[in-house]
Amino acid sequence: MRLAAFVVGLALCFTPAAAQQVSDPTGSGDSLVWRMPPSSPNMQMLMAPFMGIVPDVTPFLPGPGVDVLTLSEATVGGLVRLADGDTLRLEATLLRREIDGRMIKVYGFNGQSPGPTIRVPQHSTIIVQFTNRIDFPTTLRWHGVRLDNQFDGVPGQTQSPVRVGETYTAEVYFPDAGAFWYHPHQRGHIAQELGLYGAIIVDSPDLDYYSSANLEETLLLDDVLLDDLGILPFGFEAPVQALMGRFGNVLLINGQPDYRRSVNKGDVVRLFLTDASNTRPFNLRIEGGVRMKLVGGDLGKFEREEWISSVIIAPGQRYIVEVMFEEEGEFALTNRITAVDHFLGEFEYQVDTLGIFEVSSRPTDFDYSAQFETLRTYDGGFDEVRAQAGRPVDEELVLSLRIGALPLPVIRMLEMDTLYYPPVEFNDAMPMMNWLSTGMNVLWLMHDPAPDVDPRDLGPATGWRFRQGDLVKIRLFNDPDSWHPMSHPLHLHGQRFVVLEQDGVPSSNLVWRDTVLVPVGSTVDLMVEMSNPGSWMFNCQIPEHLGAGMSMSFVVQPTGA
Amino acid sequence: MISIVLAALAGAGLTGPESPTECRLAAPLAPEFYVIELVSTRRIPGSGASTGTVDVTFAPSPFGVSLTENGDYLRDLEINVSNLRAPDQGSFVVWVTTPQLDSIERVGVLGDGTLRGQVRWNKFLVVISLEQDDASTAPRWAGPIILRGMSKSGAMHTSAGHGPFETENCASYGFRE
Ligand SMILES: [Cu+2]
Repeated sequence: MRLAAFVVGLALCFTPAAAQQVSDPTGSGDSLVWRMPPSSPNMQMLMAPFMGIVPDVTPFLPGPGVDVLTLSEATVGGLVRLADGDTLRLEATLLRREIDGRMIKVYGFNGQSPGPTIRVPQHSTIIVQFTNRIDFPTTLRWHGVRLDNQFDGVPGQTQSPVRVGETYTAEVYFPDAGAFWYHPHQRGHIAQELGLYGAIIVDSPDLDYYSSANLEETLLLDDVLLDDLGILPFGFEAPVQALMGRFGNVLLINGQPDYRRSVNKGDVVRLFLTDASNTRPFNLRIEGGVRMKLVGGDLGKFEREEWISSVIIAPGQRYIVEVMFEEEGEFALTNRITAVDHFLGEFEYQVDTLGIFEVSSRPTDFDYSAQFETLRTYDGGFDEVRAQAGRPVDEELVLSLRIGALPLPVIRMLEMDTLYYPPVEFNDAMPMMNWLSTGMNVLWLMHDPAPDVDPRDLGPATGWRFRQGDLVKIRLFNDPDSWHPMSHPLHLHGQRFVVLEQDGVPSSNLVWRDTVLVPVGSTVDLMVEMSNPGSWMFNCQIPEHLGAGMSMSFVVQPTGA
Repeated sequence: MISIVLAALAGAGLTGPESPTECRLAAPLAPEFYVIELVSTRRIPGSGASTGTVDVTFAPSPFGVSLTENGDYLRDLEINVSNLRAPDQGSFVVWVTTPQLDSIERVGVLGDGTLRGQVRWNKFLVVISLEQDDASTAPRWAGPIILRGMSKSGAMHTSAGHGPFETENCASYGFRE
């Protein structure tokens, strides 16, 4: 078949969608038309068959009708230290930000995007008054925080969405030390992508909880998808990029494309890392032989500190690492990945610089090198979990995909693409195909193992009920026989778990987590401590997957109920 | 939201994959999807009926996924070979190599048909050769290849010249027409 005939045939099939070119009638200067996502030259080849087809949802950009120049410029989130009983007001609004010479509209809290970093003592409770002044109703979530169920921020499950102009008050209790974050849970594919999130650091009362460090830095990792016209429009009724999530093409730290930090020679720096991107896993390292020590994960410290050459972090996850800058000079924080080039059928090495540490010749004020050299251990209550690791699985989930009315060229490309899937997607290898997949035409599923059920009848798993205090062994299997299997960072609300094993290989260094990356084809066993009663959600952290169905609910009944 | 999506899909003429089998869930081992089949070259007597597999799992890592400093997957291999008669002379030695054979690493001697090793490339071949000794310092195999297999990623190939791109000139992308 000739390419031209192929394209004409497709255009005939999809006239209604192809005609849906929407201009912004408000004169705000935004380019509210569906346009093909930006991509590399080889990927542009792959986009040719899709010419003239647009997603089956309405394009949306923030602040319709608002002139970007009338908005306040977003500042970088500052540190807010709070004590037990304190009140924090978070007002979500539109802001503006210049990235790579383009003035774009973003969202933020209190004029900051990302919002303020909240630093609180462990076992404290704060009152948060969240006022929603963005373009649509939303909710706020306290990711990883084992708080009271009613304040978990899940629309339709724990609360109603906070409408525009309304204020919602939450009591947020922090039972665990570690690194956490807050982000929206309704239309997160838009609001989170545009910076409506912030970091939380919870400090243990044990002053010796961490080794001594000269400096602590909170790094929120993200990316944003821009083309010459600015932000690429979002789907309003449902997300676009529902197959792989929205990969950006500009990497950000704390909302900035050019993060820089000055330190002194010999400084030990503790980094609190959060992957706040919609879908991008990072392989982070500091170039120039700077040594990194892994200290903690989602909910506190690892069983054993260990030396690492890079941090592999997936959306929603947090890691705490310590680094020591022994030499003067500039040291780049990079993301080193192998991207898939589907047109050439090859992997391609990619190195992106997220930021720079500038190490001055001035010696450190306090020499903590001896503590840095020491690898500590931590008794996090892991022995009890490990003792039960060999018991039978209590619940099993299969991760898979059903496809609906996807444009025909996308289906053809998926058919061609079925020979190999990488275990983890580190880049958007099919930007056009991904863009045309939406929450209306694909359905991601967390379903019961059901070999005898017609795949068309599969729905999210139901009926999970546990009792407070239960240790529950859950097996996750990422089915590679789906139409387009992909790695999923799954997030369990309200509880904590350890990863017992992956593909039959036991974890040798445990940490309490709330988010786990499940590679394609992999089987991951979790031991979940059901400590927190309520009706909770278990979902994929990628908001485009969540918006395409990838969630389920479970109930933890209180002791004595 | 979910019910809306379900309703939209219900009317959309859904297609879907085959369901997973129960046996695969019952025994969590290396992902079946990435298992490498080893195929005999039938070059020496006693090897014609030999078969083998290579299980591929991530090297242990606190992150679950394991990567090299370049971003390649760092993976453990478990090589299992059956129906291969012990050689009268010499050793069966296992190697991994990039598809272009520009990098080759020795994994070790295949003792009783099982060997464990590691690989740090995303696309690779597993080669088992018959060597005069254990080839412990050899840069590559010198003897005949007995079995070989390719990583699942070897199935990735260029789109130029295929399907909607069949009129694309492969040569312009560095491939032979
Ligand atoms: Cu997902």
